[in-house]
Amino acid sequence: MKLHRIYANVLRYFYLFRHNLDRLTDAFYWPTVDLVLWGIASLYFRSYLDNAPAIVAFILSGVILWIIVWRGQAEISVNVLEEIWNRNLINIFVAPLKFSEWILSLLAIGAIKAFASFLFAVLVAFLLYKVQIFSFGFYLVPFIIPLLLFGYSVGFFISGLVLRFGTRIQGLSWSLIFVISPFSAIYYPLEILPAWAQNIASFIPASYIFEGAREVLMSGVFDQNKVFISVALSVVYFVAALLFFRQSFYKALKNGLTKVY
Amino acid sequence: MDVLQAKNLTKKFGNLVAVDNVSFSLREGEILGFLGPNGAGKTTTIQILLGTLLPTSGEVFYFGKDFKRHREEILEQVNFSSTYTNLPWYLTLQENLNCISYLYDIKNRRERIQKVVELFHLDELLKKKTYEFSSGQLTRINLAKAFINFPKVILLDEPTASLDPDVAKYIREFLLKEQEQFQVSIILTSHNMAEIEAVCDRVIFINEGKIVADDTPENLAKSIETCHIQLFIKEGLERTVEYCVKYGYAAKIEGHYITVDLKEKSIAPFLQGLVEEGITYEEINIEKPTLEDYFLQVIATKSSGP
Repeated sequence: MKLHRIYANVLRYFYLFRHNLDRLTDAFYWPTVDLVLWGIASLYFRSYLDNAPAIVAFILSGVILWIIVWRGQAEISVNVLEEIWNRNLINIFVAPLKFSEWILSLLAIGAIKAFASFLFAVLVAFLLYKVQIFSFGFYLVPFIIPLLLFGYSVGFFISGLVLRFGTRIQGLSWSLIFVISPFSAIYYPLEILPAWAQNIASFIPASYIFEGAREVLMSGVFDQNKVFISVALSVVYFVAALLFFRQSFYKALKNGLTKVY
Repeated sequence: MDVLQAKNLTKKFGNLVAVDNVSFSLREGEILGFLGPNGAGKTTTIQILLGTLLPTSGEVFYFGKDFKRHREEILEQVNFSSTYTNLPWYLTLQENLNCISYLYDIKNRRERIQKVVELFHLDELLKKKTYEFSSGQLTRINLAKAFINFPKVILLDEPTASLDPDVAKYIREFLLKEQEQFQVSIILTSHNMAEIEAVCDRVIFINEGKIVADDTPENLAKSIETCHIQLFIKEGLERTVEYCVKYGYAAKIEGHYITVDLKEKSIAPFLQGLVEEGITYEEINIEKPTLEDYFLQVIATKSSGP
């Protein structure tokens, strides 16, 4: 494992981010739009619900924490897509880059950019609605790690599919995560979901975190079990997604990296 | 000393055998040309040599080491350029070269980037983004990328395609200089036969996934016995055609020019025969067989085959 090769890739993804308006929009514009829309909606709900003063923090903390999952996933999928769109896979793999170094560079740029979007959203939420996500204190750390791992898992799963089936299914990079979002209980408690949906939600690591976060906000209680289940599920999915991605890459090598498009 | 050995490489895509039991070696400081018609298996072989395509069977060794086991160590000393690959569109040339130099852990990065930029006359393009370049500029950029790590072995897929003739000539001279000064070993594919003849020490001809010839360009050309003899005849063109038909010479007429294909040893009797027929010519041009003739013959054999 050579740090300079990981750095080379991270640097390239950073340059791509700096120059591409689409990537800047993904990182800052859409999170802001989400916050503005949900913020206004939650202010409206609060004006009708006398006994729910925390509803703004309740919903917006969900929006902000979801950004970690969403951006974590998108950074993996879109950066892999960038390699394919630019027909650059061949350039990086005729160099002595290892597959594991590529993965680490994707994880690193994913974390950097997911946190950049997260911090930006935290700032916007504070400026517009006086919501302080840092009121979660140290609980944020165990919340964020499984969310990021879960985002990565979905990202690598989609990227594995793209390596197998090409860019004709690239739309999944922007859409699949939103299929998962209703089962993640981002804005509402799990109990309002129908039983079948709750069963699905029990397999989604993010649902435990959002439930746990709401408990901290409502009662100040931090449920370690929920975090533990979430971390365990995220780790399992992360390892499975990495294995799937590696297998897909191997399959792409069998057909030739120039044929991935 | 062999810097590269390909042993029994085979690549199958379903029922299609793209590369069929190909074995060859590349010596230190040698420029080896890969020739063959489209779809012959040249690019597939190069991809296997680079590790971007897994062979169905066979092995590749660089510097005596198994490529599968020593991939990273080997690729630090190997590079590749193709007209058909891109660099990230939104990055400037400076940024692309910067990232690549980190990838290869180039010492004195700035100096090396400056050097390859000068070598390929890219100074004015440094701040421009990839999508702004012409195909000729991209070709030069790909070459700069390929030489950035002081490669001992370099694989070039159509390195002068899209280049103006003067730039292509400069690249050919550059390759020969690299070979002479640094003993760089090069595998080169090109559809420009004159280029292959001018640059390559040896040529491997691939057809339908198999090596059909492995020799110097001169020897391959010599294996074709037919010369082209072109005559400018003001009067007596019809009689010349009749003469060719009578003695079974293949001829082609264009204006007052007649081109006759015949074996080198038949040139003198042919010309003697014309004199005896009272036919005079104003100009004569004799073309000896070239690599292109060899290429065309192999293609013709293929298309007339079963």
